[in-house]
Amino acid sequence: MSRKGCLGCSFPVLIVIIVVVLAVGIVSFLSGALGKAMVGDVGLPDVFTVDSPHVQLPAEEIFHIGGFAVTNTLIASWITIIVLVALAWAVTHRIKLIPTRLQNLLEFAIEWLLNLCTDVAGEKNGRRFFPIITTIFLFVIMNSWLSLIPGFGSITYTVAEHGQTHVLPLLRGANTDINFTLALSIVSFVFVLYFGISQSRLLFFKQFFNATRFNQGVGQLVRGKAKSGFGSLFFGGIDLFVSFLEFISFCIRLVSFAFRLFGNMLGGEILILMMLFLMPFLLAIPFYGLELLVGAIQALIFGGLTLVFATMAVTLHEHEEAH
Amino acid sequence: MEGLGLNVPQLIAQLVSFLVLFGLLYFFAYKPILRMFDERSQRIKESVEQAEMVKEEAAAAEEENRKKLEAAAREGQEAIARAMRAGDEARQRAQQEAQVEAAGLVEKARQEIQRERDEVVSEIRQEFADLAVAAAEKVIEKSLDKEAHRELIEKVLEESTTLDKDNR
Repeated sequence: MSRKGCLGCSFPVLIVIIVVVLAVGIVSFLSGALGKAMVGDVGLPDVFTVDSPHVQLPAEEIFHIGGFAVTNTLIASWITIIVLVALAWAVTHRIKLIPTRLQNLLEFAIEWLLNLCTDVAGEKNGRRFFPIITTIFLFVIMNSWLSLIPGFGSITYTVAEHGQTHVLPLLRGANTDINFTLALSIVSFVFVLYFGISQSRLLFFKQFFNATRFNQGVGQLVRGKAKSGFGSLFFGGIDLFVSFLEFISFCIRLVSFAFRLFGNMLGGEILILMMLFLMPFLLAIPFYGLELLVGAIQALIFGGLTLVFATMAVTLHEHEEAH
Repeated sequence: MEGLGLNVPQLIAQLVSFLVLFGLLYFFAYKPILRMFDERSQRIKESVEQAEMVKEEAAAAEEENRKKLEAAAREGQEAIARAMRAGDEARQRAQQEAQVEAAGLVEKARQEIQRERDEVVSEIRQEFADLAVAAAEKVIEKSLDKEAHRELIEKVLEESTTLDKDNR
């Protein structure tokens, strides 16, 4: 069987596609900063030109309610909430034993996360951790994926302030706001702390201040056993130091969680902005794909790490008994 | 921290939005969906159990049917045997009856023959006596006292063995 064509297209279609891609490529090259630097301005219409990216770390304030500033990231996070809740409501207000397609989609996600939780934390704790972990995961992934929808960052809002007008993007991915990521990591921190204390009780604090062996050493010195006493003091000191490190790393998590997500998402956003500036249309496409992946991975990391730390905090006594 | 845009009201706002999402998803997604999962697995478990039960029931019913069939077959065999036995008996009885009847017939025939023979013998005797009387009359040409004569002959005959009445 001889079939004319290549890559699943007939030759005329393929040629048209190649021509279109080439044309877009040339236009994007010429209109981008890269082409302008190499070839010079060839006088393309303004529509094609992309403004030089303006990187701003704090979220822009759109309007104020009383003394409270509503930022574009807050609006975006509300939109994410609305989308998620609408999806959930659309499925669950008429939940069926034999699922429809949309119900299947949501059930697939929920079941996957439930299995993740029960695999890591066991059946009982997995079910307990599941709501928070799932909310973190869904919130982060939806924030990052919604902000990749074309036009998400292009809707602008003009603010007149002190006689000046600012053109601000109305929406900005909530993950790129340090307030959001820090809020999320506070939730994660408190979640781990709560379950750690409620399940492991004093053991939870003991891992941060482990003076058992040090006290033993003191006792032995008092009773006059100098040799074993100093040994215990030495190792007790190491225990104290290690537990102090444990405490520091526990507290550092609060910051590292927040900055990991913030840095990754903001970096991705800036990367796409840069690529759009350098060579609009064409060059940014692979990075959109990359950002889809990064969004999913960051959501999984945030949820997964929270899950793992919570599991560790809950199962402290089991380790202790094993020793 | 100012450069990052970190401020407490925003932080609280984002915390609140997270908690709002958590609450809404908890009631609109997790609870119903987890309940659905549990219900579904319960249903599946029940269906499997039910199928198992139906299978067992079917096996039991089949066993029972088999037993019934066996019993019916046995009963049938017995009925056939009984019928055969009854047939045999009937035949035997008929045979016996026929034998008895045949014997009766033979007996009757023999009796008839005997009777006829007796009749013939007495007739012959009568005739013979008459003849003898006649012959004697002829011989002596003289008529004897008929009655006395006859008695005489009878006596002779009585003594003879060849024409004995009861000779069998």
